[in-house]
Amino acid sequence: MAIYSFYIFDRHTECIYTRRWTPRPMSSSGKSGRPQSGSSITSNGDSVPPTRKALSKEDDAKLIFGLVFSLRNMVQKLGGEDDTFLSYRTAEYKLHYYETPTRMKFVMLTDTKQNNLRVALHQIWANLFVEYVVKNPLAPVEHPGGIGVANELFERGLDAFVTAVLPS
Amino acid sequence: MVVFALFIISKAGGLIYNREFHSGLTKLTSNDYLMLAGSFHGMHAITKQLCPVPAAAINPTSGVPSLAPSPFTSRPSGIEVLESSHFRIQCFQTLTGTKFLLFTEPQQPNVDSVLRRIYELYSDYVMKNPFYTVEMPIRCEKFDRSLDGFVKVRS
Amino acid sequence: MTAQGQTPGLRYPSNKKTIYDRNLSRSKNSELSRAAFAYLFVEMISYAQKRVKGIADLEKRLNNQGYPLGLKLLELLLARAPPNSALRPTRILPLLQFIAQTLWRHLFNRPADALERSENDASQYMLYDNDPMVNQYISLPREMSQLNCAAFVAGIIEGVCDGAGFATQGVSAHSVGEEPGGEKGSMWPGKTVFLIKFREEVLEREEILGRGG
Repeated sequence: MAIYSFYIFDRHTECIYTRRWTPRPMSSSGKSGRPQSGSSITSNGDSVPPTRKALSKEDDAKLIFGLVFSLRNMVQKLGGEDDTFLSYRTAEYKLHYYETPTRMKFVMLTDTKQNNLRVALHQIWANLFVEYVVKNPLAPVEHPGGIGVANELFERGLDAFVTAVLPS
Repeated sequence: MVVFALFIISKAGGLIYNREFHSGLTKLTSNDYLMLAGSFHGMHAITKQLCPVPAAAINPTSGVPSLAPSPFTSRPSGIEVLESSHFRIQCFQTLTGTKFLLFTEPQQPNVDSVLRRIYELYSDYVMKNPFYTVEMPIRCEKFDRSLDGFVKVRS
Repeated sequence: MTAQGQTPGLRYPSNKKTIYDRNLSRSKNSELSRAAFAYLFVEMISYAQKRVKGIADLEKRLNNQGYPLGLKLLELLLARAPPNSALRPTRILPLLQFIAQTLWRHLFNRPADALERSENDASQYMLYDNDPMVNQYISLPREMSQLNCAAFVAGIIEGVCDGAGFATQGVSAHSVGEEPGGEKGSMWPGKTVFLIKFREEVLEREEILGRGG
């Protein structure tokens, strides 16, 4: 089992927490030092577009938010108001989704063999986020720009949770 | 087996076939279905972009320099399965970019083989029909009938 | 000038064995890909559809595409028949039997489903196929529901009849799967009848031969 990344979005659509467990995929923007397949072909013609554009961390988070937001709307449109979007899977990864009653969105990207992590995401919210962020007197009520979320207790708790509940 | 509906989306993102087999999903207007197909097409493309692992990790062949890299191997796939609490969408994309979306119950086994079979029916009764124009809405009586036969027998 | 044996446009296999050098019976029992035929037929229909004015015109063109095949198949099938039965049919019934059995088996790997003589018109015969192979993948658009693409097969029948010396006033294919009077969703929705109408002189000859024999 592998976990790739984890995101929290607040009700203002802002990404307030990001965590990655794997290095970003190599961008093909020139600084790649690793030999890639077909590099001999692409090297003499720089007009060949890279297979995947180098996205910044923020872009990734925005894309994910837009995506889960649209998927959630689509699911509700088709399945009715009480239907909830749980996860999707491609051949390479699986995205798990959990929405709290306060419309915060928890998103986790894992490998494809992972079973549904809705319960685990709920636990992260209830046992870690509520305990260490919401109940933290030093953290603000809202977290613009992620203020107050990435504190030491929460991060350590998240790491421990991930190693304990989702052994790699 | 409960199959709610089948959508076929052309490679340009247009809804070219839409068929309901079993009630259970909310009824929408045909315009809404078209929009839904279009947005699914877009989301499918984004899910390809988001691939968190380098393609090399999945395609063990990429370590070997090949003279003619196949256009089909190192391309990440988009959404294959989407789960919600009420239903499940299985998406199958052909090599030419046509997408088949099958809406089933959440705990439905063997949807892959069902979709494969539907793809076969499509290749037979749609692609081999002289009166069908590629990328246009599918109106083929024999396709409808064979789908009915196949899906109803399984359910 | 081109080098000898390198005629442009026509290629020979390296062993110099062209299709014309092969024994005629060589591919007697070999089968062809149905998918390949389906795609070829798709192109044949689109080609025929390009310059036609109406459905009757389109059926005529499909008929014309089948006609030469009928002439050639008559010869080929007679050449392949066992020597003692390799005779051209001279009476109507043996001819129709030849079409319904030998020709149908060769083309579709099964005999035709029924053969009838029209009650109203002595010159007309009806050959039934419950599910014509050529129509297997074809769904007709609503505005062309009168069309039956088995007109191609009708052309083949016409070619065989003509080649055997039985001039016809035309062979046509009609769908009878869902007759207005019949129940909807019948067993054979693609059922097709081939109407074979012989000319007067053929019937006259038949009568004379019947009296003589």
